[in-house]
Amino acid sequence: MTTTAPPADERTERRSDERVSDVGLLRRLLIRPELGAAIGVVVVFAFFAASSEVFRSPAGAANWLYPASTLGIMAIAVALLMIGGEFDLSAGVMTATVGLTVGLLSTELGWNLWAAMLGALVLALALGFVNGFLVVRTGLPSFIITLGMFLMLQGLNLGVTTAVTDTVLVDGIDDVPGYELANALLAGTVDIGGVQFRITILWWLVLTAVATWVLLRTRVGNWIFAVGGDARAARNVGVPAARTKIALFMTTAGAAWLVGTMSALRLTSVQANAGIGQELIFIVAAVIGGCLLTGGYGSAIGASLGALIFGMTSQGIVYLQWDANWFMFFLGAMLLLAVLANRLVRRYAEQSRK
Amino acid sequence: MPESEPLLEMIGIVKEFPGVRALDGVDLVVRPGEVHCLLGQNGAGKSTLIKVLSGAHQPDEGTISWQGEPVRLNSPTAAMRLGVATIYQELDLVDGLSVAENVFLGHEQTTAGFIHRSEMNRRTQELLHRLGHGEISPRTELGRLPAAHKQIVSMARALSHEAKLIIMDEPSAALAHDEVGNLFRIIRDLRAAGVAVVYISHRLAEIREIGDRVTVLKDGRTVAVGLAAKDTPTPQIVSLMVGRDLANTFPERPAPAPDAAAVLDVRGLSLPGVFADISFSVRAGEIVGLAGLVGSGRSEILETIYGARRASAGQVLIDGKPVRRGSTPAAVAAGMGLAPEERKSQALLLHDSVAENILLAAMDDFATFGWLDRRKAARAAAEQVAALDLRPHDPEREVRTLSGGNQQKAVLARWLVQRRRLLLLDEPTRGVDVGARTELYALIRRLAEQGLGVLLVSSEVPEVLGLSDRVLVVREGRLVHEAAATELDEAQVLDLVMAPTDGADSAEPAGRPAA
Repeated sequence: MTTTAPPADERTERRSDERVSDVGLLRRLLIRPELGAAIGVVVVFAFFAASSEVFRSPAGAANWLYPASTLGIMAIAVALLMIGGEFDLSAGVMTATVGLTVGLLSTELGWNLWAAMLGALVLALALGFVNGFLVVRTGLPSFIITLGMFLMLQGLNLGVTTAVTDTVLVDGIDDVPGYELANALLAGTVDIGGVQFRITILWWLVLTAVATWVLLRTRVGNWIFAVGGDARAARNVGVPAARTKIALFMTTAGAAWLVGTMSALRLTSVQANAGIGQELIFIVAAVIGGCLLTGGYGSAIGASLGALIFGMTSQGIVYLQWDANWFMFFLGAMLLLAVLANRLVRRYAEQSRK
Repeated sequence: MPESEPLLEMIGIVKEFPGVRALDGVDLVVRPGEVHCLLGQNGAGKSTLIKVLSGAHQPDEGTISWQGEPVRLNSPTAAMRLGVATIYQELDLVDGLSVAENVFLGHEQTTAGFIHRSEMNRRTQELLHRLGHGEISPRTELGRLPAAHKQIVSMARALSHEAKLIIMDEPSAALAHDEVGNLFRIIRDLRAAGVAVVYISHRLAEIREIGDRVTVLKDGRTVAVGLAAKDTPTPQIVSLMVGRDLANTFPERPAPAPDAAAVLDVRGLSLPGVFADISFSVRAGEIVGLAGLVGSGRSEILETIYGARRASAGQVLIDGKPVRRGSTPAAVAAGMGLAPEERKSQALLLHDSVAENILLAAMDDFATFGWLDRRKAARAAAEQVAALDLRPHDPEREVRTLSGGNQQKAVLARWLVQRRRLLLLDEPTRGVDVGARTELYALIRRLAEQGLGVLLVSSEVPEVLGLSDRVLVVREGRLVHEAAATELDEAQVLDLVMAPTDGADSAEPAGRPAA
């Protein structure tokens, strides 16, 4: 019954290509989810770079790129999860759980650091699995499930740490065998033109690229958009929706493992109350980067740009010698502006297409 | 059509939901390369049957064979793997993905997990071209397409599966007239390629034009198998679909009281894009039925009268007094009560007791300065439970454990504990067993006899004809006919509710209005 001859085929192909270019480069850029965040990055950079010489120097950049990188790694994972239509409020405190586990296993039980890191990874993935499994099985909002996980982990972090060490701190991680190599790989610095850049920045860039690639070029990426956009429709056409969601929770937990380990290695100690409040910052970065709270829309690059805004702002305020209390105000304003800008632009783009 | 080995055989399919037996022994036999039409009134079990066939529901009893082999369709994926693709009325598409991504969602073309985007775009373009819509770009984000194009995408997806059987649930409902022609061309192409199509439609004319054989469902049972779609006389098909002894089911109409005052007056009511210039009245003690197809605007008219939608023009009057536009509280204060179509989600608190549900809107009447007189309220609820014979006779039962008919009684009881002037009923017997319907009909009639005005919307023509005193026919947002129920028969109403171009297959109606 094939009535389509190849020439006709080519003709339509060419015609459709013209249509795409008809749409216009500008409008195609405008409908990208990252747009608001990209503008934000330019504005924030211009503002601080104009006011502070240190900020625009390579050493200054190395300084603000570090917080951007660790936040960015988490924000990417959280963005994937949000595109898939779910939240994880336990992600922040889980970074501390990981750091404490690494510290306790190595300093208290005498494990090699690599073994301790592996143990912490297994734990993190298990926690992510539990989050995902409960959400998928019960159909309860992930907000509630992961809020429960968040509170439980917060209690565990403090409870176990004080029971074992009699303090609220695990330290001495740099004395454990295996520290040198692990630190060099995950938390050390790289000399570029006389400036020490944290290697976390490299991890961040690589993971942004990988996540973008997965989202836009793999079937898993398609599934993530589909389960977040319309889970029922996705299931009906054969997308393994439950597995996709569980995998996303485990990815977030895996990112928490990476960031928790990085931070434990760099500081060589972990506070039992670390990470609390961070979960909202991750979500803020993802939303600035264009993720919708309702799922099905967003980008990994956007989340990274959101994290970059965060990093620049947190250090820029220090360079300008402002009161650090203003930081949160600034971040909140950025969030509102980015969301409003995204909304306006998308509406404009949709209307002009009709 | 040559006799050939059946592609699909469903025998004795039974499916029960809490409170209702949706399928009660259904047979469906489909041969390769035929267009098999599934006919039946709303609630006959068509939707449930195709959900069983597409793997979304599991049957409680019965066997399914595919090319002679018994199979179990325990998931949508299992059905798809066999070669069954379903195009639902509510399309299973994801707005955020591109057209091509939607077409290949769940069976993406990949190497080691990586998508061949250009290949997918190319094949999607091919499929769209084959469907006569080469102008849709595979790269467009789906959410930006109009509804008719979304349906084309959904069809492209079915084709991309190399399906042997494609189920189409009222595919023409969302299409303009010329697009229906294109749809039929596609279906003929499919048939020529040996693909079987199960085609569901309310429009007899379409079935004449495109169908090979017809299976008719009624009340969850198969009443006719393998009728010739082209030559079976319309009265025979209609009587199979309806086939109910109306006299026994519906309560008798009391002698009309033409001097009764109008409870409801609707004057020039309009809602842009949905309906325009609707005027009619309902007298005290009268049941007025609103007949029309899904999408004709009949439910929207009801919702607008009730204030759930804001009319752009026109007036609604209760007992001669205008009711404020677009305000549900004003409508309730004026004396209206609504039993909505989506009973469970829009009317009932499923986890609360019958009594609480009944008293929901009337709490004020049982309260003095904010203090609720619980005993008095409970007594009022118990009276209603007894008066409506709401079973079990236990006001403390959770509503969700009741059957559909008894849930509907709880909704009605809610309005009866207060003094009402007008009841608006939207599909009052949807999901209600046949036996329980008779009781509901009697109840609705009794309410009218007590002096209430009743405005009834139903997709079931026999229900409208049997229960109402007067019938209004709505087509494409316009009131096209008004007559006493006794002056109309089912074929006439079916003909009136459909587009005028579809009238060729049925008898000339007595009083066809100029559209």
